[in-house]
Amino acid sequence: MKLKRYLIYWLKTSELTFESLIADKLSSTLFISGKLLRFFFMLGFLLAIKEKIKLVSGYNIDQLVIFFLIYNLFDLVGQLFYRGVYWFRSDILSGDLDFKLVKPINPLFQILTSHTDFLDIPQLFIVVVILIIRLPHVAWQNVLVFSLLSLISMLILTAVHIFVAALGVITTEVDHTIWIFRSLSGMAQVPIDIYSPSVRGFLTFVIPIGLIFTFPAKALYGLLTPALIFWTIGFALVFYYLSLKFWYYSLKTYASASS
Amino acid sequence: MKKYWLIFRLSWQNALTYRLNFVMWRVRSIIGFLASYLFWLAIVNSNQNIAGYNPSLLLTYIFVSAFLRNLVLSNVSYGACVEIAGGDLSNYLIKPLGYFKYWLTRDLADKALNLSFFSVEIIIFYLILKPQIVLTQHLWLFLAISFLAALLYFFLSFLISTYAFWHPEHNGWPFRFLFIMLLDFLSGSSIPLDIFPPQIVKIFQVLPFSYLVFYPNQIWLNRVNTNQIINIFLITSFWLIAFYLIFRLVWRRGLKNYSAYGR
Repeated sequence: MKLKRYLIYWLKTSELTFESLIADKLSSTLFISGKLLRFFFMLGFLLAIKEKIKLVSGYNIDQLVIFFLIYNLFDLVGQLFYRGVYWFRSDILSGDLDFKLVKPINPLFQILTSHTDFLDIPQLFIVVVILIIRLPHVAWQNVLVFSLLSLISMLILTAVHIFVAALGVITTEVDHTIWIFRSLSGMAQVPIDIYSPSVRGFLTFVIPIGLIFTFPAKALYGLLTPALIFWTIGFALVFYYLSLKFWYYSLKTYASASS
Repeated sequence: MKKYWLIFRLSWQNALTYRLNFVMWRVRSIIGFLASYLFWLAIVNSNQNIAGYNPSLLLTYIFVSAFLRNLVLSNVSYGACVEIAGGDLSNYLIKPLGYFKYWLTRDLADKALNLSFFSVEIIIFYLILKPQIVLTQHLWLFLAISFLAALLYFFLSFLISTYAFWHPEHNGWPFRFLFIMLLDFLSGSSIPLDIFPPQIVKIFQVLPFSYLVFYPNQIWLNRVNTNQIINIFLITSFWLIAFYLIFRLVWRRGLKNYSAYGR
Protein backbone atom coordinates (compact mmCIF):
# COMPACT_ATOMS: atom_id res chain seq x y z
CA MET A 1 0.00 0.00 0.00
CA LYS A 2 2.80 2.37 0.97
CA LEU A 3 4.74 1.37 -2.15
CA LYS A 4 1.69 2.12 -4.31
CA ARG A 5 1.44 5.61 -2.81
CA TYR A 6 5.10 6.27 -3.63
CA LEU A 7 4.66 4.93 -7.16
CA ILE A 8 1.65 7.18 -7.78
CA TYR A 9 3.58 10.16 -6.43
CA TRP A 10 6.58 9.43 -8.66
CA LEU A 11 4.42 8.85 -11.73
CA LYS A 12 2.56 12.12 -11.14
CA THR A 13 5.68 14.25 -10.65
CA SER A 14 7.33 12.55 -13.64
CA GLU A 15 4.28 13.23 -15.77
CA LEU A 16 4.37 16.92 -14.82
CA THR A 17 8.09 17.14 -15.62
CA PHE A 18 7.51 15.44 -18.96
CA GLU A 19 4.71 17.85 -19.82
CA SER A 20 6.93 20.84 -19.07
CA LEU A 21 9.64 19.36 -21.31
CA ILE A 22 7.40 18.81 -24.30
CA ALA A 23 5.87 22.25 -23.86
CA ASP A 24 9.26 23.70 -24.79
CA LYS A 25 10.47 21.42 -27.57
CA LEU A 26 13.28 23.66 -28.83
CA SER A 27 14.94 23.85 -25.39
CA SER A 28 14.59 20.09 -24.90
CA THR A 29 16.11 19.46 -28.35
CA LEU A 30 19.06 21.74 -27.56
CA PHE A 31 19.67 20.03 -24.21
CA ILE A 32 19.52 16.55 -25.74
CA SER A 33 21.84 17.63 -28.59
CA GLY A 34 24.37 18.98 -26.08
CA LYS A 35 24.32 15.77 -24.06
CA LEU A 36 24.74 13.62 -27.18
CA LEU A 37 27.56 15.79 -28.49
CA ARG A 38 29.47 15.44 -25.20
CA PHE A 39 29.01 11.67 -25.30
CA PHE A 40 30.00 11.20 -28.95
CA PHE A 41 32.97 13.56 -28.66
CA MET A 42 34.47 11.48 -25.84
CA LEU A 43 33.65 8.21 -27.57
CA GLY A 44 35.18 9.57 -30.78
CA PHE A 45 38.30 10.61 -28.88
CA LEU A 46 38.74 7.11 -27.41
CA LEU A 47 38.32 5.54 -30.85
CA ALA A 48 40.67 8.12 -32.44
CA ILE A 49 43.54 7.27 -30.09
CA LYS A 50 43.07 3.54 -30.64
CA GLU A 51 45.72 3.50 -33.38
CA LYS A 52 48.10 5.73 -31.46
CA ILE A 53 48.29 4.04 -28.06
CA LYS A 54 48.43 0.40 -27.16
CA LEU A 55 47.65 0.07 -23.49
CA VAL A 56 46.77 2.38 -20.60
CA SER A 57 47.77 0.77 -17.30
CA GLY A 58 47.13 -2.67 -18.77
CA TYR A 59 43.77 -1.83 -20.39
CA ASN A 60 43.37 -1.67 -24.16
CA ILE A 61 41.16 0.95 -25.82
CA ASP A 62 38.27 -1.47 -26.41
CA GLN A 63 38.16 -2.12 -22.68
CA LEU A 64 38.36 1.61 -21.95
CA VAL A 65 35.34 2.11 -24.23
CA ILE A 66 33.36 -0.45 -22.19
CA PHE A 67 34.35 1.33 -18.95
CA PHE A 68 33.29 4.63 -20.51
CA LEU A 69 29.91 3.19 -21.56
CA ILE A 70 29.25 1.72 -18.12
CA TYR A 71 30.23 5.03 -16.52
CA ASN A 72 27.61 6.70 -18.73
CA LEU A 73 25.04 4.06 -17.88
CA PHE A 74 25.20 4.70 -14.11
CA ASP A 75 25.73 8.43 -14.46
CA LEU A 76 22.61 8.72 -16.63
CA VAL A 77 20.47 6.51 -14.42
CA GLY A 78 21.55 8.59 -11.40
CA GLN A 79 20.62 11.84 -13.16
CA LEU A 80 17.41 10.40 -14.56
CA PHE A 81 16.04 9.58 -11.12
CA TYR A 82 17.81 12.01 -8.79
CA ARG A 83 17.80 15.24 -10.82
CA GLY A 84 15.56 16.78 -8.13
CA VAL A 85 18.55 17.56 -5.92
CA TYR A 86 19.60 20.24 -8.45
CA TRP A 87 16.42 22.17 -7.55
CA PHE A 88 16.75 21.66 -3.82
CA ARG A 89 18.69 24.84 -2.99
CA SER A 90 15.73 27.10 -3.76
CA ASP A 91 13.55 25.00 -1.43
CA ILE A 92 15.98 25.59 1.45
CA LEU A 93 16.43 29.32 0.75
CA SER A 94 12.71 29.97 0.41
CA GLY A 95 11.70 27.68 3.26
CA ASP A 96 9.57 25.63 0.88
CA LEU A 97 11.15 22.51 2.34
CA ASP A 98 8.45 22.88 5.04
CA PHE A 99 5.85 21.73 2.53
CA LYS A 100 7.82 18.60 1.81
CA LEU A 101 8.37 17.83 5.49
CA VAL A 102 4.67 17.88 6.35
CA LYS A 103 3.54 15.58 3.54
CA PRO A 104 2.93 11.87 4.26
CA ILE A 105 5.74 10.91 1.86
CA ASN A 106 9.38 10.69 2.82
CA PRO A 107 10.87 14.20 2.18
CA LEU A 108 14.06 12.67 0.82
CA PHE A 109 12.06 10.78 -1.78
CA GLN A 110 10.28 13.98 -2.75
CA ILE A 111 13.53 15.98 -2.99
CA LEU A 112 15.53 13.46 -5.00
CA THR A 113 12.85 12.30 -7.42
CA SER A 114 10.97 15.55 -8.01
CA HIS A 115 12.35 16.18 -11.53
CA THR A 116 12.77 12.92 -13.44
CA ASP A 117 15.11 13.91 -16.26
CA PHE A 118 13.60 12.47 -19.41
CA LEU A 119 16.16 14.34 -21.49
CA ASP A 120 18.71 11.68 -20.49
CA ILE A 121 16.65 8.85 -22.01
CA PRO A 122 17.84 9.22 -25.66
CA GLN A 123 21.47 9.03 -24.56
CA LEU A 124 20.71 6.18 -22.18
CA PHE A 125 19.14 4.25 -25.04
CA ILE A 126 22.18 4.86 -27.27
CA VAL A 127 24.59 3.84 -24.48
CA VAL A 128 22.73 0.57 -23.91
CA VAL A 129 22.66 -0.25 -27.64
CA ILE A 130 26.39 0.47 -28.12
CA LEU A 131 27.16 -1.48 -24.94
CA ILE A 132 25.28 -4.53 -26.24
CA ILE A 133 27.07 -4.27 -29.61
CA ARG A 134 30.57 -3.79 -28.22
CA LEU A 135 30.43 -6.00 -25.17
CA PRO A 136 32.59 -9.08 -25.61
CA HIS A 137 31.28 -12.50 -24.59
CA VAL A 138 30.80 -12.42 -20.83
CA ALA A 139 30.38 -15.43 -18.55
CA TRP A 140 26.97 -15.62 -16.84
CA GLN A 141 28.64 -15.56 -13.41
CA ASN A 142 30.17 -12.19 -14.30
CA VAL A 143 26.80 -10.88 -15.49
CA LEU A 144 25.34 -11.96 -12.16
CA VAL A 145 28.03 -10.13 -10.17
CA PHE A 146 27.63 -7.10 -12.46
CA SER A 147 23.88 -7.05 -11.74
CA LEU A 148 24.47 -7.26 -8.00
CA LEU A 149 27.10 -4.49 -8.09
CA SER A 150 24.79 -2.37 -10.24
CA LEU A 151 22.28 -2.40 -7.40
CA ILE A 152 25.06 -1.55 -4.97
CA SER A 153 26.12 1.30 -7.28
CA MET A 154 22.61 2.72 -7.17
CA LEU A 155 22.60 2.44 -3.37
CA ILE A 156 25.87 4.39 -3.12
CA LEU A 157 24.64 6.95 -5.69
CA THR A 158 21.50 7.40 -3.59
CA ALA A 159 23.65 7.89 -0.49
CA VAL A 160 25.81 10.49 -2.26
CA HIS A 161 22.70 12.47 -3.25
CA ILE A 162 21.42 12.24 0.33
CA PHE A 163 24.76 13.60 1.58
CA VAL A 164 24.51 16.48 -0.90
CA ALA A 165 20.94 17.26 0.18
CA ALA A 166 21.94 17.14 3.86
CA LEU A 167 24.93 19.42 3.25
CA GLY A 168 22.52 21.72 1.43
CA VAL A 169 20.28 21.98 4.50
CA ILE A 170 23.26 22.81 6.74
CA THR A 171 25.17 25.20 4.44
CA THR A 172 22.51 26.19 1.81
CA GLU A 173 25.13 25.15 -0.75
CA VAL A 174 23.95 22.45 -3.15
CA ASP A 175 24.88 23.39 -6.71
CA HIS A 176 28.64 23.43 -6.28
CA THR A 177 28.62 20.30 -4.11
CA ILE A 178 26.77 18.24 -6.69
CA TRP A 179 28.95 19.66 -9.48
CA ILE A 180 32.10 18.82 -7.54
CA PHE A 181 30.80 15.26 -7.30
CA ARG A 182 30.04 15.29 -11.03
CA SER A 183 33.54 16.61 -11.82
CA LEU A 184 35.11 13.95 -9.61
CA SER A 185 32.93 11.22 -11.05
CA GLY A 186 34.17 12.28 -14.51
CA MET A 187 37.49 10.75 -13.46
CA ALA A 188 35.75 7.35 -13.58
CA GLN A 189 35.08 7.66 -17.31
CA VAL A 190 38.17 5.49 -17.39
CA PRO A 191 38.96 2.73 -14.85
CA ILE A 192 40.31 4.31 -11.67
CA ASP A 193 43.13 1.73 -11.73
CA ILE A 194 45.00 3.98 -14.15
CA TYR A 195 45.56 6.58 -11.43
CA SER A 196 48.27 6.58 -8.76
CA PRO A 197 47.57 4.50 -5.59
CA SER A 198 46.80 7.59 -3.47
CA VAL A 199 44.25 8.92 -6.01
CA ARG A 200 42.79 5.44 -6.38
CA GLY A 201 42.45 5.16 -2.60
CA PHE A 202 40.72 8.55 -2.45
CA LEU A 203 38.30 7.57 -5.23
CA THR A 204 37.53 4.28 -3.50
CA PHE A 205 37.42 5.01 0.22
CA VAL A 206 36.66 8.74 0.54
CA ILE A 207 34.46 9.64 -2.44
CA PRO A 208 33.47 6.15 -3.60
CA ILE A 209 33.37 6.94 -7.31
CA GLY A 210 35.37 3.84 -8.12
CA LEU A 211 32.80 1.64 -6.39
CA ILE A 212 29.95 3.27 -8.31
CA PHE A 213 31.42 3.28 -11.80
CA THR A 214 34.56 1.17 -12.07
CA PHE A 215 33.77 -1.88 -9.92
CA PRO A 216 30.66 -3.02 -11.87
CA ALA A 217 32.63 -2.77 -15.12
CA LYS A 218 35.50 -4.71 -13.60
CA ALA A 219 33.00 -7.35 -12.49
CA LEU A 220 32.00 -7.83 -16.14
CA TYR A 221 35.60 -8.69 -16.96
CA GLY A 222 35.87 -10.93 -13.89
CA LEU A 223 38.53 -8.68 -12.37
CA LEU A 224 37.05 -8.51 -8.86
CA THR A 225 37.91 -10.96 -6.12
CA PRO A 226 35.07 -12.26 -3.87
CA ALA A 227 36.66 -10.37 -0.97
CA LEU A 228 36.40 -7.08 -2.89
CA ILE A 229 32.77 -7.79 -3.81
CA PHE A 230 31.82 -8.42 -0.16
CA TRP A 231 33.81 -5.39 0.92
CA THR A 232 31.93 -3.22 -1.62
CA ILE A 233 28.57 -4.46 -0.35
CA GLY A 234 29.59 -3.79 3.26
CA PHE A 235 30.91 -0.34 2.42
CA ALA A 236 27.72 0.56 0.52
CA LEU A 237 25.49 -0.44 3.44
CA VAL A 238 27.54 1.54 5.96
CA PHE A 239 27.77 4.53 3.60
CA TYR A 240 24.01 4.52 3.05
CA TYR A 241 23.35 4.25 6.79
CA LEU A 242 25.69 7.18 7.50
CA SER A 243 24.06 9.29 4.79
CA LEU A 244 20.65 8.80 6.44
CA LYS A 245 22.10 9.65 9.86
CA PHE A 246 23.61 12.81 8.37
CA TRP A 247 20.30 13.73 6.75
CA TYR A 248 18.41 13.47 10.05
CA TYR A 249 21.14 15.49 11.75
CA SER A 250 20.86 18.18 9.05
CA LEU A 251 17.11 18.45 9.57
CA LYS A 252 17.76 19.42 13.18
CA THR A 253 19.70 22.46 11.91
CA TYR A 254 16.99 23.50 9.43
CA ALA A 255 15.65 26.91 10.46
CA SER A 256 12.81 27.17 7.93
CA ALA A 257 14.10 30.63 7.01
CA SER A 258 11.97 32.79 4.67
CA SER A 259 8.96 30.53 4.99
CA MET B 1 36.40 55.38 -17.18
CA LYS B 2 35.96 56.01 -13.45
CA LYS B 3 32.56 54.29 -13.34
CA TYR B 4 33.97 51.18 -15.02
CA TRP B 5 36.80 51.06 -12.51
CA LEU B 6 34.13 51.19 -9.81
CA ILE B 7 32.30 48.27 -11.51
CA PHE B 8 35.61 46.36 -11.59
CA ARG B 9 36.08 46.87 -7.84
CA LEU B 10 32.45 46.04 -7.06
CA SER B 11 32.77 42.79 -9.05
CA TRP B 12 35.69 41.75 -6.83
CA GLN B 13 33.80 42.72 -3.69
CA ASN B 14 30.76 40.81 -4.88
CA ALA B 15 32.80 37.65 -5.60
CA LEU B 16 34.63 37.84 -2.28
CA THR B 17 31.45 38.48 -0.28
CA TYR B 18 30.13 35.03 -1.17
CA ARG B 19 33.38 33.34 -0.14
CA LEU B 20 32.07 29.79 0.16
CA ASN B 21 30.61 30.08 -3.32
CA PHE B 22 33.93 31.32 -4.69
CA VAL B 23 35.97 28.67 -2.86
CA MET B 24 33.68 25.93 -4.20
CA TRP B 25 34.10 27.33 -7.70
CA ARG B 26 37.90 27.19 -7.33
CA VAL B 27 37.64 23.61 -5.99
CA ARG B 28 35.67 22.65 -9.11
CA SER B 29 38.27 24.32 -11.29
CA ILE B 30 41.11 22.47 -9.52
CA ILE B 31 39.31 19.12 -9.81
CA GLY B 32 38.80 19.70 -13.53
CA PHE B 33 42.51 20.40 -13.96
CA LEU B 34 43.59 17.45 -11.81
CA ALA B 35 41.23 15.03 -13.56
CA SER B 36 42.64 16.02 -16.93
CA TYR B 37 46.26 15.98 -15.72
CA LEU B 38 46.00 12.58 -14.01
CA PHE B 39 44.26 11.06 -17.04
CA TRP B 40 47.03 12.16 -19.41
CA LEU B 41 49.71 11.23 -16.87
CA ALA B 42 48.36 7.66 -16.89
CA ILE B 43 48.42 7.63 -20.68
CA VAL B 44 51.97 8.97 -21.02
CA ASN B 45 53.20 6.55 -18.38
CA SER B 46 52.19 3.71 -20.71
CA ASN B 47 52.92 5.45 -24.04
CA GLN B 48 55.99 7.63 -24.55
CA ASN B 49 54.85 9.22 -27.80
CA ILE B 50 51.30 10.08 -28.80
CA ALA B 51 50.83 11.83 -32.14
CA GLY B 52 54.14 13.67 -31.77
CA TYR B 53 53.62 14.57 -28.12
CA ASN B 54 56.21 13.29 -25.66
CA PRO B 55 55.24 13.21 -21.94
CA SER B 56 56.61 16.67 -21.12
CA LEU B 57 54.87 18.27 -24.13
CA LEU B 58 51.56 16.64 -23.27
CA LEU B 59 51.67 17.53 -19.57
CA THR B 60 52.72 21.09 -20.41
CA TYR B 61 49.71 21.21 -22.75
CA ILE B 62 47.44 20.43 -19.78
CA PHE B 63 49.10 23.09 -17.58
CA VAL B 64 48.87 25.76 -20.30
CA SER B 65 45.26 24.74 -21.02
CA ALA B 66 44.44 25.28 -17.36
CA PHE B 67 45.91 28.79 -17.61
CA LEU B 68 43.95 29.50 -20.80
CA ARG B 69 40.75 28.17 -19.29
CA ASN B 70 41.13 30.77 -16.52
CA LEU B 71 42.16 33.58 -18.83
CA VAL B 72 40.09 32.92 -21.95
CA LEU B 73 37.15 30.71 -21.01
CA SER B 74 36.30 32.07 -17.57
CA ASN B 75 33.49 34.58 -17.87
CA VAL B 76 30.54 35.99 -16.01
CA SER B 77 28.99 37.72 -19.01
CA TYR B 78 26.57 34.79 -19.38
CA GLY B 79 24.67 36.83 -16.76
CA ALA B 80 23.61 39.09 -19.65
CA CYS B 81 21.53 36.17 -20.91
CA VAL B 82 19.66 36.01 -17.59
CA GLU B 83 19.11 39.78 -17.58
CA ILE B 84 17.73 39.79 -21.12
CA ALA B 85 15.47 36.81 -20.38
CA GLY B 86 14.20 38.26 -17.09
CA GLY B 87 13.68 41.79 -18.40
CA ASP B 88 16.37 43.26 -16.13
CA LEU B 89 18.14 44.63 -19.20
CA SER B 90 15.71 47.57 -19.00
CA ASN B 91 17.46 48.79 -15.83
CA TYR B 92 20.68 49.24 -17.78
CA LEU B 93 19.22 50.72 -20.95
CA ILE B 94 18.07 53.81 -19.06
CA LYS B 95 21.38 54.31 -17.25
CA PRO B 96 24.34 56.34 -18.58
CA LEU B 97 26.28 53.12 -18.91
CA GLY B 98 27.40 51.05 -21.90
CA TYR B 99 25.89 47.62 -21.34
CA PHE B 100 28.56 45.98 -23.43
CA LYS B 101 31.36 47.80 -21.61
CA TYR B 102 29.71 46.98 -18.29
CA TRP B 103 29.94 43.23 -18.94
CA LEU B 104 33.40 43.54 -20.46
CA THR B 105 34.55 45.18 -17.22
CA ARG B 106 32.88 42.51 -15.10
CA ASP B 107 34.48 39.83 -17.23
CA LEU B 108 37.90 41.43 -16.85
CA ALA B 109 37.42 41.58 -13.08
CA ASP B 110 36.40 37.91 -13.02
CA LYS B 111 39.39 36.88 -15.12
CA ALA B 112 41.76 38.88 -12.92
CA LEU B 113 40.32 37.29 -9.79
CA ASN B 114 40.44 33.77 -11.20
CA LEU B 115 43.96 34.24 -12.53
CA SER B 116 45.27 35.54 -9.21
CA PHE B 117 43.96 32.43 -7.42
CA PHE B 118 45.03 30.18 -10.26
CA SER B 119 48.62 31.51 -10.05
CA VAL B 120 48.90 30.35 -6.46
CA GLU B 121 47.19 27.01 -7.15
CA ILE B 122 49.34 26.21 -10.18
CA ILE B 123 52.57 26.91 -8.29
CA ILE B 124 51.44 24.55 -5.52
CA PHE B 125 50.53 21.84 -8.04
CA TYR B 126 53.78 22.35 -9.91
CA LEU B 127 55.69 21.78 -6.67
CA ILE B 128 53.62 18.70 -5.80
CA LEU B 129 53.40 17.08 -9.24
CA LYS B 130 56.87 18.16 -10.46
CA PRO B 131 56.14 17.79 -14.18
CA GLN B 132 58.77 18.55 -16.83
CA ILE B 133 57.39 21.79 -18.22
CA VAL B 134 58.33 22.95 -21.72
CA LEU B 135 59.18 26.66 -21.68
CA THR B 136 58.08 28.82 -24.56
CA GLN B 137 60.30 30.79 -26.90
CA HIS B 138 57.41 33.09 -27.78
CA LEU B 139 56.16 34.41 -24.45
CA TRP B 140 54.97 37.80 -25.76
CA LEU B 141 53.32 36.26 -28.79
CA PHE B 142 51.61 33.74 -26.52
CA LEU B 143 50.32 36.51 -24.24
CA ALA B 144 49.17 38.57 -27.23
CA ILE B 145 47.27 35.67 -28.83
CA SER B 146 45.76 34.75 -25.43
CA PHE B 147 44.49 38.32 -25.09
CA LEU B 148 42.92 38.16 -28.57
CA ALA B 149 41.42 34.75 -27.74
CA ALA B 150 39.88 36.15 -24.53
CA LEU B 151 38.32 38.98 -26.52
CA LEU B 152 37.08 36.54 -29.18
CA TYR B 153 35.46 34.39 -26.51
CA PHE B 154 33.80 37.43 -25.00
CA PHE B 155 32.14 38.30 -28.32
CA LEU B 156 31.19 34.69 -28.92
CA SER B 157 29.69 34.35 -25.47
CA PHE B 158 27.81 37.63 -25.74
CA LEU B 159 26.46 36.55 -29.11
CA ILE B 160 25.15 33.36 -27.48
CA SER B 161 23.48 35.50 -24.79
CA THR B 162 21.44 37.33 -27.44
CA TYR B 163 19.56 34.06 -28.01
CA ALA B 164 17.49 35.09 -24.97
CA PHE B 165 15.98 37.98 -26.95
CA TRP B 166 14.03 35.44 -28.99
CA HIS B 167 13.87 32.50 -26.54
CA PRO B 168 13.85 33.68 -22.92
CA GLU B 169 12.78 30.24 -21.65
CA HIS B 170 15.17 28.78 -19.01
CA ASN B 171 17.04 32.13 -19.05
CA GLY B 172 18.43 31.30 -22.49
CA TRP B 173 20.40 28.44 -20.93
CA PRO B 174 19.62 25.63 -23.48
CA PHE B 175 21.56 27.26 -26.33
CA ARG B 176 24.43 28.13 -24.01
CA PHE B 177 24.51 24.51 -22.79
CA LEU B 178 24.94 23.33 -26.38
CA PHE B 179 27.62 25.99 -26.91
CA ILE B 180 29.53 24.89 -23.79
CA MET B 181 29.45 21.25 -24.92
CA LEU B 182 30.87 22.24 -28.30
CA LEU B 183 33.42 24.55 -26.74
CA ASP B 184 34.63 22.03 -24.19
CA PHE B 185 35.75 19.70 -26.91
CA LEU B 186 36.43 21.84 -29.99
CA SER B 187 38.57 24.39 -28.14
CA GLY B 188 41.03 21.65 -27.24
CA SER B 189 40.95 22.60 -23.58
CA SER B 190 41.27 19.00 -22.39
CA ILE B 191 42.41 17.14 -25.51
CA PRO B 192 45.09 18.27 -27.99
CA LEU B 193 43.15 18.48 -31.24
CA ASP B 194 45.98 17.26 -33.48
CA ILE B 195 45.69 13.81 -31.91
CA PHE B 196 42.73 13.30 -34.27
CA PRO B 197 43.11 12.18 -37.90
CA PRO B 198 44.31 14.96 -40.30
CA GLN B 199 40.93 15.21 -42.06
CA ILE B 200 39.22 16.06 -38.77
CA VAL B 201 42.01 18.47 -37.78
CA LYS B 202 41.30 20.40 -41.02
CA ILE B 203 37.70 20.89 -39.85
CA PHE B 204 38.95 22.13 -36.46
CA GLN B 205 41.20 24.64 -38.27
CA VAL B 206 38.30 26.42 -39.94
CA LEU B 207 36.21 26.65 -36.76
CA PRO B 208 36.78 29.57 -34.35
CA PHE B 209 36.85 27.36 -31.23
CA SER B 210 40.36 25.96 -31.77
CA TYR B 211 41.78 29.51 -31.69
CA LEU B 212 40.67 29.91 -28.08
CA VAL B 213 42.88 27.27 -26.45
CA PHE B 214 44.50 24.86 -28.90
CA TYR B 215 46.45 27.29 -31.11
CA PRO B 216 47.62 29.60 -28.30
CA ASN B 217 48.80 26.39 -26.62
CA GLN B 218 50.70 25.37 -29.76
CA ILE B 219 52.50 28.73 -29.71
CA TRP B 220 53.56 28.13 -26.11
CA LEU B 221 54.78 24.63 -26.96
CA ASN B 222 56.91 25.96 -29.86
CA ARG B 223 55.11 23.55 -32.20
CA VAL B 224 54.37 26.17 -34.87
CA ASN B 225 56.78 28.05 -37.17
CA THR B 226 56.75 31.79 -37.93
CA ASN B 227 54.40 31.45 -40.91
CA GLN B 228 51.96 29.40 -38.89
CA ILE B 229 52.08 31.94 -36.04
CA ILE B 230 51.23 34.73 -38.50
CA ASN B 231 48.35 32.61 -39.81
CA ILE B 232 47.04 31.99 -36.28
CA PHE B 233 47.08 35.74 -35.58
CA LEU B 234 45.37 36.54 -38.88
CA ILE B 235 42.64 33.93 -38.47
CA THR B 236 42.00 34.87 -34.82
CA SER B 237 41.75 38.55 -35.84
CA PHE B 238 39.39 37.62 -38.67
CA TRP B 239 37.08 35.72 -36.28
CA LEU B 240 37.30 38.54 -33.76
CA ILE B 241 36.15 41.14 -36.29
CA ALA B 242 33.55 38.79 -37.79
CA PHE B 243 31.96 38.00 -34.43
CA TYR B 244 32.06 41.63 -33.37
CA LEU B 245 30.15 42.65 -36.51
CA ILE B 246 27.69 39.74 -36.21
CA PHE B 247 27.18 40.56 -32.55
CA ARG B 248 26.39 44.24 -33.31
CA LEU B 249 23.90 43.24 -35.97
CA VAL B 250 22.20 40.62 -33.80
CA TRP B 251 22.18 42.92 -30.75
CA ARG B 252 20.37 45.69 -32.68
CA ARG B 253 17.79 43.24 -33.97
CA GLY B 254 17.46 41.72 -30.52
CA LEU B 255 16.78 45.10 -28.94
CA LYS B 256 13.97 45.66 -31.47
CA ASN B 257 12.52 42.32 -30.44
CA TYR B 258 13.04 42.93 -26.70
CA SER B 259 9.82 43.37 -24.77
CA ALA B 260 11.10 43.12 -21.17
CA TYR B 261 9.48 39.80 -20.33
CA GLY B 262 9.13 39.20 -16.63
CA ARG B 263 9.04 42.90 -15.68
